[in-house]
Amino acid sequence: MLIKEIMSKNVITVKRNTTLKALLKIFIKFHIFPLVPVVDAQGHLAGIVSFRNLLNVFRPYNPEVLKAVPFLDEEEGEDIFHIDLTEEIGDLVVVEDIMEKKVVSLTEEATLEEAFNLMKMHLKEEFPVVDKGGRLVGMIGIFDIIREVFRQKGVV
Amino acid sequence: MNTVLGIGFTLLAGLALAKLLNKIKFPAVTAYLLLGILVGPSVGSLLSGELLQSSALVSNIVLGMIAFGIGQNFSIENFRRIGKSVLWISVLEATGAWIFVTLAFLFILHQPFYIALVFGAIASATAPAATVMVIREFRSKGNFTDTLLGVVAIDDAWCLIIFAVSLAVAQAIYNHMLAGFFLFKVFSASLLTIVGAFVLGAIVAALLSSLSKFLRSQAELLILTIGFVFLTIGLALRFHLSVLLSNMFFGAVLINIDKTPLKFFESLKTIDPPLFLLFFVLAGANLEISILPKLGLIGITYLISRVLGKMCGAGVGAHFARAQSNIKKYLGLALIPQAGVALGCALIAKNDFPDVGNMIFTTIIATTVIYEIIGPLCTKYALHKAGDVALQSSSP
Repeated sequence: MLIKEIMSKNVITVKRNTTLKALLKIFIKFHIFPLVPVVDAQGHLAGIVSFRNLLNVFRPYNPEVLKAVPFLDEEEGEDIFHIDLTEEIGDLVVVEDIMEKKVVSLTEEATLEEAFNLMKMHLKEEFPVVDKGGRLVGMIGIFDIIREVFRQKGVV
Repeated sequence: MNTVLGIGFTLLAGLALAKLLNKIKFPAVTAYLLLGILVGPSVGSLLSGELLQSSALVSNIVLGMIAFGIGQNFSIENFRRIGKSVLWISVLEATGAWIFVTLAFLFILHQPFYIALVFGAIASATAPAATVMVIREFRSKGNFTDTLLGVVAIDDAWCLIIFAVSLAVAQAIYNHMLAGFFLFKVFSASLLTIVGAFVLGAIVAALLSSLSKFLRSQAELLILTIGFVFLTIGLALRFHLSVLLSNMFFGAVLINIDKTPLKFFESLKTIDPPLFLLFFVLAGANLEISILPKLGLIGITYLISRVLGKMCGAGVGAHFARAQSNIKKYLGLALIPQAGVALGCALIAKNDFPDVGNMIFTTIIATTVIYEIIGPLCTKYALHKAGDVALQSSSP
């Protein structure tokens, strides 16, 4: 079975220039911050924003730039309760400043087994799905796969 | 102390000293290096001979691993992202230090060309740990900080290339000093080292990428990745190719040909910290304190010419990239610390040039300690002068 048959096709996306304030407003009623795909004007997947990326707002720089640097001390994490943020941050910071640009995605033609293995390999529970042209067409989560397996076995 | 006990003691003492020195804002690498000096044969003599003899093995493994990781920088997407300022400045500050130190050793100290070349190449390295620590401490923000971070993130890649080329030339000069067809031999030996390293790296990357489809777990991924890194190190040593270049090309080809290459680099990161600790402690333990007094002039020449090279190179790079004036003036000053990559290169030089290796290594380790002390102060000064530190922060 292919993931395009079971993936979620109605996905909330944001643009590179979506402000932090607008991003937070979209998800204000959610009880968790989901994995949010970032797309360009043509719908191509440009990046991903997770709650970890929201924490980058409290950092002086985006840690992604130092990913390949050896011998760095581990970051202790920001003390978000004691860092001063001004109101303007909400309009000044845009999604492009905080998003992760190196994103692992699946093509819609991938099988459920391939998706499941990729999730195990990357220790992730959700991946964006793109078509052959790199345009975002959906999201696939580990629960989508588990639910489908249960369905095939007649449990539900 | 037996070898296993020595490793256990080193890991625990290294962790404790790193925590202690972190309170006074020194990076962990400085703590590991100081611990190595303290427990090494020159001071405490706490480590077994067997453990000390494994320095070359540990440094080859660690250097292979970091070169593989640094190869990630060579993705097409990364080059699109970093921008011309970072590219110009990083290339020219690294080559600036290389040229200034080489010329200083040739014309001020009258050292043979191959020694000058090796010192020059080692000088191109920068240690980001201390620089990043200062940026975190002062929460500095702005164009200067962004450019500085971009430069420290990529400049070790240039250093590895410069060092591999310089080492190949220096080895060819050293081994063929009395032979005929001198220039031809130097050129062909250097070319073979580089082309051979690229071919090896590319083949291994293609193999790893194609075999990874059979992987089913994180454990298998880690074993396969580390197996291929070790294989590349071993084959490079076996065929007298550059360990650094082979592994860097391995990482560089892998990041461009594999569909999901980050998993390899991420998995290797899980075993880095204890190996890196051991590498720095053993590097410190290899310091020969008895040679230090004889190295006064060499050390001072290296310290000054490297800083001048970094400052001039960064300034010229910023000028070519039409960067802001604060970047032109102060960025070189923020690139002074040296540590892991420089020490690793020095360890390689120590093994490759037995008669002058101790002099090279001891100079680098002593200047590393000095740079790690003065470097952060210079970085603080540069960040303040560049206007990237908010006024309420403490002064440098």
